[in-house]
Amino acid sequence: MTATAGPRPAPPPRARWPRPSRSATISIASVAVFFLLWQIAPELGLVNGRFTSQPTLVLKAALEVAVADDFLRHARVSLTAFAVGYGLAMLVSIPLGIVLGTSRIARHMLEPPLMALYIAPTLILLPVMIVWLGIGIASKIAVAFLGAVFPIIVNTMAGMREADHKLVRMARSFGASRFDVFTRILVPGALPSIVVGLRLAIGRAVLGVIVGELYVSQAGLGFQLTTYGAAMRIDRLLVYAIAVSIFGYTMTALVRAIEARLQRWRPE
Amino acid sequence: MAQIEVRDLQITYDTPKTGERFTAVEGVTLSVEAGEFVTIVGASGCGKSTLLLAVAGLVPVSGGTIAIDGRTVTAPGPDRAVVFQEASLLPWRSVLGNVKFGLEMQRWTRDDRTERAMRFIRMVGLANFADYHPHQLSGGMRQRVNIARALAVDPKVLLMDEPFGALDAQTREVMGDELLTIWEREKKTALFVTHDIDEAIFLADRVVVMGRNPGHIKEIMRVDIPRPRHEDVLDSDLFNGYRKRLRAHLAEDMASMHLVEGAQA
Repeated sequence: MTATAGPRPAPPPRARWPRPSRSATISIASVAVFFLLWQIAPELGLVNGRFTSQPTLVLKAALEVAVADDFLRHARVSLTAFAVGYGLAMLVSIPLGIVLGTSRIARHMLEPPLMALYIAPTLILLPVMIVWLGIGIASKIAVAFLGAVFPIIVNTMAGMREADHKLVRMARSFGASRFDVFTRILVPGALPSIVVGLRLAIGRAVLGVIVGELYVSQAGLGFQLTTYGAAMRIDRLLVYAIAVSIFGYTMTALVRAIEARLQRWRPE
Repeated sequence: MAQIEVRDLQITYDTPKTGERFTAVEGVTLSVEAGEFVTIVGASGCGKSTLLLAVAGLVPVSGGTIAIDGRTVTAPGPDRAVVFQEASLLPWRSVLGNVKFGLEMQRWTRDDRTERAMRFIRMVGLANFADYHPHQLSGGMRQRVNIARALAVDPKVLLMDEPFGALDAQTREVMGDELLTIWEREKKTALFVTHDIDEAIFLADRVVVMGRNPGHIKEIMRVDIPRPRHEDVLDSDLFNGYRKRLRAHLAEDMASMHLVEGAQA
């Protein structure tokens, strides 16, 4: 770099119509080819259209689902289970992770079972939850909660443990109390890791709700997935599958945006 | 009575891995007058940083006493501020936020904090960088923030632990110059640890030379170079004399270190 006055060079002038980058072009082309193949393969007799459906049919099904089919009611059922499970997980796991990250005794006591539960797919607990809580919304909330809680605990814990001891010493030199050190040094330092945990937890909670509904339920997006699966309505089944993935993607993107804001002070 | 009184100080601690008791500092007695600039120089492992951090109240004392204005040191206090070797800035706070940190800890009022922080940011020449974050600054700029943060809380004693140790030679000289200018204006008592002989002489009213195994004071040397000082004194005969004397001390330590290492090999 040549000599500039400050570390912030002026942004380069932007073209009115930005040319799509090479990678974007390739991505768009590959998606287009995929849809094209999907559309023509059944018509050419390459695959059985009953099993694969077609993009145009899925689009038509989407319109049907949107106007009739109680889409909003099912979405609300799933969303409620997700929101309650995920919210409870946040309330429990962030404080717990913070305590475990600061207290060595608590960590020695709870780390092995926590790691085991973090690694194991928490869905294996679904049958137990159904026995305990019945086939209503409570067991889906429980599974969403269990899916979300461990990634947040583990990442919060890691964030607290990676605290910079030099910063703690600096704070103490200015007379910081233990509480000051905790609120001004440890927690802000752990925040980026906590948000990583929150992001990983979204996918797990969505999975918990949907699989819970696939298994046993009377309503919800997962319930609709099994219903249309059983009825061989691949077009509608795909509409619901896409709705679920759009939801997960949007939530994750949202948390990523928060993450990016927090990480501004930490380049790379 | 002197402002800093260190009497027969002993500092020992358990090394975490082997569990052995290690004596870092032994039999250190030192008084520093108010407004005096004292540098501590010695080879690595001579306990010079440990001594400084003990005065800061960050390292527990095992024997002897440290007192500031007659009050025994047991913990950090608002009468002292430390400039650390690594800038130790909070990466999520701006320059202004970092300089305000000490003021927040010592419960200055909100209005005072910003005003005072800005005053010292200007003093170290970073007025245009108050909103920058540490990762956007050079090493020298970060150390300026480190110094501004310490000065802002208005301590009587400024404790500096090799603050320019990680900087390149040129930046180091400039920073030393600026530090003296600020110190002459602010009239703080200064204790400054370094391993750089020239830096130790250039800044000091007195240089404390420390030796190893265990850390102890070998000599306290008065520097009679009139202030304000400029870089040309580095070439004077007087300065050369001081330099030779300190080098002889450090060479002695280096020799004993090689003997020990040779014996182990």
